[in-house]
Amino acid sequence: MNGIHDLGGMHGLGPVVREENEPVFHEEWERRVFAVLNLTMAAGQYNVDELRHAIERMAPARYLESPYYEHWLHAAEDLLDAKGVVTQEELAQRAAEIARRSSAEPLRTDEPPRGAAASRRARDAGRGRSK
Amino acid sequence: MKPRSPHNEPPPSPALRIQALESLLIEKGLIDPGAIDEIVELFEHRIGPRNGARVVAHAWADPQYKARLLANGTQAIAELGITGLQGEDMIVLENTPRVHNVVVCTLCSCYPWPTLGLPPNWYKSAPYRARVVIEPRRVLAELGLELTADTEVRVWDSNAEIRYMVVPMRPAGTEGWSEERLAAIVSRDAMIGTAVPTVEPREGARHR
Amino acid sequence: MPALPREQVRTAIRAGLSARAEVAIPPRFTVGERVIARNINPTGHTRLPRYARGKRGVVERHHGGFVFPDTRAHGLGDQPEHLYNIRFEALELWGAGAPERDGVYLDLWESYLEGAP
Repeated sequence: MNGIHDLGGMHGLGPVVREENEPVFHEEWERRVFAVLNLTMAAGQYNVDELRHAIERMAPARYLESPYYEHWLHAAEDLLDAKGVVTQEELAQRAAEIARRSSAEPLRTDEPPRGAAASRRARDAGRGRSK
Repeated sequence: MKPRSPHNEPPPSPALRIQALESLLIEKGLIDPGAIDEIVELFEHRIGPRNGARVVAHAWADPQYKARLLANGTQAIAELGITGLQGEDMIVLENTPRVHNVVVCTLCSCYPWPTLGLPPNWYKSAPYRARVVIEPRRVLAELGLELTADTEVRVWDSNAEIRYMVVPMRPAGTEGWSEERLAAIVSRDAMIGTAVPTVEPREGARHR
Repeated sequence: MPALPREQVRTAIRAGLSARAEVAIPPRFTVGERVIARNINPTGHTRLPRYARGKRGVVERHHGGFVFPDTRAHGLGDQPEHLYNIRFEALELWGAGAPERDGVYLDLWESYLEGAP
């Protein structure tokens, strides 16, 4: 498709901004998205070409504005809904439940730690982001 | 697509959306929660540009290895125990005084994970993807790399399932160095082709 | 396929998943041959960027057979094709004013290409 993703040769997008000593992930949710995408692909829920095409179908303005791992998140939600594995309705309901729970508790952006990697992630999660 | 939210409520943040998705996938038995920590640990702490730097340093030190690396990248990289996802089919490009190679993925974010780790944000950004194919010299100059007019610039758009990495030129003044010392001056960006190694690494260059 | 268990993650990541696949027919193009990237505008998935469509290039390498993203993205099967690396001169892609010695290389599946007259 002649989509917004096909960027080669476009003008007007600004300078290339490089971050010194950039961390592998900037926020905890990016780690989770990276892992969930790879694990759902490993489990055969969709393939890499379907993933790329789902990203290409994002709303063009959103594609340009959103942080990179939001593209992956969008694709996972879109494909899992289309295949009936996890529906939009389930996701909306679960997100609302989590939001309700966390508003009744002290503000928390992370899942409770599950072992050493998780507590390190929780510690690192406070770092800034570049986008 | 995003989960719908009722009127007058902000749309769910990515953090909330992935929490919702992850918890549903775990409940349905479609992902192992332990596998999430494991894969993050691998890509955050074990797989990264130090792997690629070992390959480059070994190629600089051993001309026969370099010849194998340029002839069959995948096999030669595997000789050092480096294999895997997004590096299944590798081609290694050599920078010379006449030819400068630089790698991009204009359509998405393809990148050789086993040797370079996950790509930095700028590599995945719209400006880099849009510009480096049409004005590579200007992009490289902005990133601090001025190329002479008689250098041929080759831009490799990794649009299929072949992954590319660059062997930069070995700087003068590194004769007799150990491979470990050589590897320390090979930055991530030098293996993308947007930087060149120098004998005195700049502050933070090890991570770039 | 079942969920990937934690203890198999390392092995799976190190093994990867190559997109190489056997193609029953011999390659149509040879290294050094002049080709044109087809001017196609499919509404589905494709890995032929717009900037190369209709442009002339030269076959630099033959990579062998690879699964075809344009079908696999739509549940239409692997349909493997020969994949080639093509060099396009910067002048051909971007016109007068582009540095004459520079080039852009793309990996293109056989059905993206036709022979150049």
